[in-house]
Amino acid sequence: MSEKRPPEVKRRDNRAWWLVLPVVLSVAFTAVIPLMTVVNYSVQDVFSPNDRIFVGLEWFRDVTRDPEVRAAFGRTLLFSAQVLLVEIPLGVAIAATMPRHGRVAVPAALVVVALPLLIPWNVVGTIWQIFARPDIGLGGWAVNRVPGVNFNYTLDATDAWITVLVMDVWHWTPLVALLAYAGLRSIPDPYFQAAQIDGASAWATFRHVQLPRLRGVLTIAILLRFMDSFMIYTEPFVVTGGGPGNATSFLSILLSKIAVGQFDLGPAGAFSLLYFLVVQIACYVFFTVLTRSGR
Amino acid sequence: MLEWMVWTAPTALVFAGLALLLAGMAVWARISPPVARRGFLRIETDRGDRLYIGLVSAAVVLAGWIAVSDLSMWLALALAVVVVLVIGRWG
Amino acid sequence: MSGRDGRRLPWARTVFWLYGATLLLPVLWMFGMSIRPNQDILGSFSLIPQRVTFDNYVTFFTNPVWYSSYLNSIVYTSMNAVMSLVVALPAAYAFSRFRFAGDRHLFFWLLTNRMAPPAVFLLPFFQIYQSVGLFDTHLGVAIAHMLFNVPLAVWILEGFMSGIPREIDETAAIDGYSLPRFFVRIFLPMIRSAIGVTLFFCFMFSWVELLIARTITSVNAKPIAATMTRTVSAAGVDWGLLAAAGVLTIVPGAIVIWFVRNYIARGFSLGRV
Repeated sequence: MSEKRPPEVKRRDNRAWWLVLPVVLSVAFTAVIPLMTVVNYSVQDVFSPNDRIFVGLEWFRDVTRDPEVRAAFGRTLLFSAQVLLVEIPLGVAIAATMPRHGRVAVPAALVVVALPLLIPWNVVGTIWQIFARPDIGLGGWAVNRVPGVNFNYTLDATDAWITVLVMDVWHWTPLVALLAYAGLRSIPDPYFQAAQIDGASAWATFRHVQLPRLRGVLTIAILLRFMDSFMIYTEPFVVTGGGPGNATSFLSILLSKIAVGQFDLGPAGAFSLLYFLVVQIACYVFFTVLTRSGR
Repeated sequence: MLEWMVWTAPTALVFAGLALLLAGMAVWARISPPVARRGFLRIETDRGDRLYIGLVSAAVVLAGWIAVSDLSMWLALALAVVVVLVIGRWG
Repeated sequence: MSGRDGRRLPWARTVFWLYGATLLLPVLWMFGMSIRPNQDILGSFSLIPQRVTFDNYVTFFTNPVWYSSYLNSIVYTSMNAVMSLVVALPAAYAFSRFRFAGDRHLFFWLLTNRMAPPAVFLLPFFQIYQSVGLFDTHLGVAIAHMLFNVPLAVWILEGFMSGIPREIDETAAIDGYSLPRFFVRIFLPMIRSAIGVTLFFCFMFSWVELLIARTITSVNAKPIAATMTRTVSAAGVDWGLLAAAGVLTIVPGAIVIWFVRNYIARGFSLGRV
């Protein structure tokens, strides 16, 4: 305790494990035991706890070669890509227009932008289920006023996809905007004064002063949006239920159909593990970028 | 109480192996604290990080193998072990 | 101050408030649906409700299926928020103040649980909660939601705690405070706002979750979200009632959002901004 050291250096003390123990136990109960069970399911054909057959890696072979699973994987990746392509630029643009001064304007803007983030996900689904319907929804009704358009997300696969995408943009672009806004606010004034002395236009200031400083927050935003869109479930489940046909049946929706709907424990277990593997990789990239970006 | 976990001998062995691996790493860290360095992965890693990256890569090898190839999984396992060792040594 | 306006792109104000209006439009539309009689909803399309009625809200609060599931959600989200906070506080302190064997790996493991798709855990959840007798109980859902809320709470709290200089801990130790006494008497009051923010985010993420809550409940602890997805009856969807329920589920978030407006970005970025 008495030695002098720089304030940044944390003390080494393995007794800190006692402080972490409750977290480890509580999360292990809900994470490790279920994960072990999923592994056990994945190598057996389970009819009941006492009536089951060891099948080795058969389910993994089936699942990785199942055209439906592959299609859902492709759809989910495509969806995540589109989400990122739309939400990141749009979010940054909105952050750039958000008011930065004003005792009413700033809090009001923050609350308005954050509102979609705080709505329960199934209610987001309900909102768009209503809003996009051609008969009772303002959105669907307005789109159908355009000559030649016949929009109906319950019947047409493309319309359903667009509805889910627009819903996600509506729901999550505010997250990107808030993060980017927080990043913009952290830029010290001298940067702007320098730009002003140079006679830079507003656009040039944005492009050369603000955008480079946003790298950190944008990395967080991209990774978070990727992970969340990759496991999207509730919103499309409410709006389209994965349909029409399989048009919006993403990985989570397909998985919960196999697991809860058909109660196929083996295939669902193998599916879960492969899904989890992809998430693990993405998560490690996320963590590495977050913890190492400072160095 | 635990019948619903439907344990099998092979999966029990896998988890026992993982637990032993973790315990081993903890003991090893006690004997000689891990040193972070930079290998062909281009990021700073200590041996725990490399073990994790190695295991995840091995899982990817196994999953990829079973998805596209009908050859024996023992070959895939051999390849996976090589991947773990290479990443652990030079990663 | 004219120079400061030069930071902003032209037309920024107009563009922003137009966007804000677009954000609110679908929510307002749902509210509009909730105050119309059902004949009007399906009968003819109109921008403004022709007749205003609060029948849908009356139905919501008089039908036990609806109001009891609303209460269920409130009960288990509150329990979850408190439990997550209590568990996460010491851990966050440990992460922010000490280095210990495997700390980084532990932190990462927590993160993977926050990020894991709930669908992966569905099957065993059903089994595990049935076997320990927590199926269809509020406590069961609260514990299940700790899976993603405890990591979140640890991340947010750790971010805030790291902003408090370590000298304070040392001064207190010199003054003869034991760690528990220091933690409760001095440290907790200093991170009051962090605790509020953490509670808010735990409440929120538990409140918005549907998949797990639906899987491990049937009647007694059934969440409002599950009730809402089962409104389709023989007569079709009761749009007005569904919209009213939707509006009511936004209310808790809308009330507390004001208090955490300055910390929203931080919470959603897991305490990293």
